[in-house]
Amino acid sequence: MAELTYNEKRLMVVLNTIKEATPEVIAGELNTTAAAVVQFAHLCADKGIASLDRTITVSYSLTTEGEQYATLGLPERQVYASFQNEISMKEMQAHPLSRIAIGWMKKKGWVTIEKGLVKKTGDAPEGADEVALRDPDTNREGIPELVKRGLAEETETTTYRVAITETGKALVEAGIDLREEVGTLTREQILSGDWKDLNLRRYSVDKLPKRIIPGKVHPYQRLINEMRNVLLEMGFIEIYGDVVQSSFWNFDALFQPQDHPAREMQDTFYLDSTTPLPENWERVRDVHEHGGTTSSVGWGGTWVPAKAQTNVLRTHTTGLSIQYLKDHPDEPVKAFCIGRVYRREAIDPTHTPEFEQLEGIVMDKDVSFRHLMGFLKEFYGRMGFENVRFRPAYFPYTEPSVEPEVYVDGLGWVELGGAGIFREEVTDPWGVKYPVLAWGLGVSRVAMLKMGLRDLRQLYRSDVDWIRDTPMMQGGKD
Amino acid sequence: MPIIKLPYKYLETLTGTDRDTIIDRVPMIGADIERIEEDHIDVEFFPDRPDLFSTEGVARAMQGFLGLKSGINEYPVTPSGISFRVDPGLAEIRPFLGSAVIRNVSLTEEAIESLMGLQEALHWAVGRGRGKVAIGVHDLDTVTPPFYYQAAPRDRAFVPLDFEEEMNLEEILERHPKGMDYAHLVRDYAQFPLITDAKDNVLSFPPIINGELTKVTTATRNILLDCTGTDMKAVMTAVNNICTALADAGATIESVEIDGTPMPSLAPSIRTVSVDECRRLLGIPLTADEMVAHLQTMRFGAVAESEDVVTVTVPCYRSDIMHDWDIFEDVAISYGFENFDAALPESFTTGKPHPVMVMMDGVREILAGLGFLEMMPFTLTNERVLYTAMQREPNPGLLRLQRPISEEQTVMRTDILPMLVETLQINHHRELPQRLFAIGDCVEGTETFQKVAAVSIHTEADFSEIYACTDALMREMQIAYEIEESEDPAFIPGRRADIIVDGKKAGVFGEINPDVIRAFELDAPICAMEIDLRCVQARLCL
Repeated sequence: MAELTYNEKRLMVVLNTIKEATPEVIAGELNTTAAAVVQFAHLCADKGIASLDRTITVSYSLTTEGEQYATLGLPERQVYASFQNEISMKEMQAHPLSRIAIGWMKKKGWVTIEKGLVKKTGDAPEGADEVALRDPDTNREGIPELVKRGLAEETETTTYRVAITETGKALVEAGIDLREEVGTLTREQILSGDWKDLNLRRYSVDKLPKRIIPGKVHPYQRLINEMRNVLLEMGFIEIYGDVVQSSFWNFDALFQPQDHPAREMQDTFYLDSTTPLPENWERVRDVHEHGGTTSSVGWGGTWVPAKAQTNVLRTHTTGLSIQYLKDHPDEPVKAFCIGRVYRREAIDPTHTPEFEQLEGIVMDKDVSFRHLMGFLKEFYGRMGFENVRFRPAYFPYTEPSVEPEVYVDGLGWVELGGAGIFREEVTDPWGVKYPVLAWGLGVSRVAMLKMGLRDLRQLYRSDVDWIRDTPMMQGGKD
Repeated sequence: MPIIKLPYKYLETLTGTDRDTIIDRVPMIGADIERIEEDHIDVEFFPDRPDLFSTEGVARAMQGFLGLKSGINEYPVTPSGISFRVDPGLAEIRPFLGSAVIRNVSLTEEAIESLMGLQEALHWAVGRGRGKVAIGVHDLDTVTPPFYYQAAPRDRAFVPLDFEEEMNLEEILERHPKGMDYAHLVRDYAQFPLITDAKDNVLSFPPIINGELTKVTTATRNILLDCTGTDMKAVMTAVNNICTALADAGATIESVEIDGTPMPSLAPSIRTVSVDECRRLLGIPLTADEMVAHLQTMRFGAVAESEDVVTVTVPCYRSDIMHDWDIFEDVAISYGFENFDAALPESFTTGKPHPVMVMMDGVREILAGLGFLEMMPFTLTNERVLYTAMQREPNPGLLRLQRPISEEQTVMRTDILPMLVETLQINHHRELPQRLFAIGDCVEGTETFQKVAAVSIHTEADFSEIYACTDALMREMQIAYEIEESEDPAFIPGRRADIIVDGKKAGVFGEINPDVIRAFELDAPICAMEIDLRCVQARLCL
C-alpha cells in the first residue's frame, strides 16, 4: 500500500476511535474543515482503509413570494374570499390580485364565468398546494405546483458519513507515525542533523512537473556544425566570404560563357552595382576567348568586361574557393566553405531562394580523380552514408566530373551533390599548378535525408515547437 | 536539360543490340533515365553533348560502349554543286549561315521523330532558344537552286508550315503559333531574314518558321539543311550534329557553297595528348595502348605515337572537346568509375575554423546558455518588415534586388531583429514565453557583416530582463560597453538603451513599442536586443 500522508494518518487515528461519523464531527476533532476531511477520506477510501458514503437529500423551502402567500393565502383564495356567491367581472377586476386569481379559480373549478358574471360552484376545498404552502418540507404532494409557480424552491444537500474498514483498523492498530510532515529542509536542519528525525513529506514521484525547454542551437545549425567538424577533422581550412560578388568571380572565373543560361536574369539575383575587375582579369578574358595558355580552345567570341563587373547575390560559394586559390596558389590547399547562396526561385516545399551549400577543394602535387573519390567516400562515410557510388556527370567548371550517390535505407541510391576536378581554364589564370579537386552539395538535402524533413521552409520559418521538440542529440549510432 | 526519346525498335536496328542491354548501360555513358515506356525510353543527356540528342547519336555511342564497334566513323563529303548567296544586309540581323545537302535519306516515322527531337534539343542547348542558332530542314526536290539568304521586307508573303493560306512576315509574327513564340528574336529589325530559291519560292523565315512548300515527309529522299544564327561556331555544331546523325542512318552528305566557300567538311580535328598527364589526372595505371583502346571505345580515333604520346582524332560532332582533360574524362568513363581505387592523399594538413564562424559559435553558446532558442530566418526580406513595421528609417546602404521573385523578398536584410519579431508572429499560437535569437549575415552596400538579435515575449517581458541578458552576452564576449538612452522608435521611450562600444553605437535593447507589437499582430510585451558584431570583430582583431 502507498504510504499515507500526515493528514490521512490523523484521520485514521480519529476514525479508529469513533468508527463512524460525519465529516463535520471529524473536522472538529482534526481542527480542519469538513471539505478537507472529505478529501482525506477519499484518499483513504481509495486505499481501502476507510469508506465514504455519500447521501444526497432534497429539501424544499418557500420563496419570498411564497412566504407572503403562506400568511395571506394564495391569490385565488384571497379573491375567492372577497365576494359572496357571485360578482361581475368588472367589479372583481378592482381586486389587485384578480389577474392572477381568475385563471386559477377557473382551473381549480371554484367558479364559472358566464356573460360577465363570476359564480361560485361550491365550497372551494383546500388543495394540496395550499397544504404544502403551510409546511413545504413535509407536505410534498402539492410541491411541484408551487415550484412551477415560483413559490417554492428545491435545495440539494450532500451529506457524507465516514467509517473505518477492517483493513483500516488493522493498519491503525499496527501503529501509525504521527510526527508532523516537513516539506522543505532548512539550513539548520541539515547542519544539525535534525533532518534525520523529520517526517519528510513523500512525493508522487511519477508526477511530471511543468516541462522546461533548454536554450538550443537550431537543429539545422547543429547539422551544419557537424559537417564543419568533419571537414575540420579531415584537415580542411574554413573559408567565409561576402554574399555580394561580381559576375567575374561568380561566373567568368568559373569559365561560364557570358551567354550561359545560368547567367540569365531569371535565375540570378542581379544587383544595381558593379565591382572593378581584379588584377590579371585579362587572363580570364584570354581563357574565354581562345583558351589562354592552356590546351583549351576557349568559347570563342568576344569577352565583355562590363558584363563581368555586374554584382550578383552569389549563386554558389565556388567563387570564394577560386579567390582562396588565387590568394593561396601554393600546394597543399585543403579548404571548405558552408554558406548561404541565392537563386531566383519561388518558395515552395522543396525550393527556397536562399539555401546553404557546402563546398570543399583540395589542391596538391599528386592529387587525382581517384583521390577526389577518396575524399567523397571519407566525407560521406563520416556523415553516416557508408555506401557511396559514382556516376559520370556534367558540371560547367569541372572536368572530369562525377556525381556521387549514397545509399539511404528506404530510399535506395540518392544523388547527393556534385564533384570534379576544376577545369584548367578555371585554375590556370591564377597560377595554380596542380589539379584542384572540388565537390559541393546542398546542405538542406542532407537535412532532408538525415532529419526526415519534408518541407524546407521549416528551416527558415521555423515552428518554435519543432525546435522545442527536436532533441539536441540525434542518431545515437554515430 | 534535354530529354531525348529513344524508340527501342529504331535503336535496336541502329545498334544491333537488345532493349534490356540498352536500358542497363545507357546511364554509364552519362545520362539519367527519366521514364521507361512500352515502346521507348526518355533519357536526359548533358547539355554539353549535343551528339547524344538523337537516336542515331546514342546508337553510335552505345555501339562503342558495348564493344560492337570502335574508333571513329568516317563522314565523306562530296560537292553538291548547289550554292547559297548571303545578303550583306543581314550582317546586323542574323549574319551566319550553315548548310548541307543530305541525299538518299530513308525517313521512317521514327527517323522523322528523331530528327525533330534532335532539332528541338539543339535549339534549346546550342541555339539558346533559337536566338543563337535556328535549324530548318527542307525537301530539296521541291525547290530550285541556287538559294538566297536575304534580308526581306516585312510584307513579303508565303505559306508557312502547317497553314494553307499565304501570310506576310508581320502577320506570321502576330498570328502563327511559332511566330508568336519567337517574335522577340526579330521584331526590332526593319527587315527579316528569309531563304528563297532561284524561282523566288520561300523555303524559310528563320528563326521563326519554314514554308509549307518544302515540308519533309516519309516520301522525302533529299534534304537541304539550313542553320542560321549569330555565332558561327554554334551554327556549325548544329550542322555537324544533324549531318552525322543522318549519315549514321545511311544518308550521304554533300557540301554547299556559301558565297564561294564549301561546307560542311565534317572533318575530325586532331589533338595530341600526353598519356602521363592523363594517368596523373585520373590516378589510374594506364599504358598508351590502353588509352588508345579506351578512346576507340568512346568513338575517337586514336593512335599511340610513343609511350607517352597519343594522337586523338576528335569527331566533328564532339563540340564539348575543348581541352585535353575533356578527352581524359572519356578515358575515365570507358575505364569505369566503379573501377577506380578511391584513396586519400598522404600529405598532412591541419584544419582551422574561420574566425567569424568561431565568433558566431561563441555567441550561440552564450545565448543558448541563457535559455534562447536559435532561429535561422531568411536574409531576403522586404522594406515593410525591415523598416515600416519597425517604425524605423531605411538604412542608406540597403541592397535592393533588381528583379525580385516575390513582394515578400525584395531586399537583403540590414538588421535581424525585424525577422525575429516576424518569427514571433509566425509562432503566435505557440505557448509563451518564447525566447528566440538569430545570428548571421547582413549586408550594407556590398559589405557583408554579422549581427545577432534576441527577443523575449511573455506577460512579464521587460527592460531589466533584456538588459541582464545583453549584459551577460557582452561580459562573456569580453566587450566593455556603456549605455546611453536610445532614440530608436522601435522601442518604448524611456525603456530603450543604446549599447556604446569604443564611443560608437554597436547595438540597442529595450521594450518593443506596442505599435510595433501590433504591426506584427502580436499582443504580449516583447523585450529585445540587437548587436552589430563588427564591434566584436574589431576587438578580437578578426
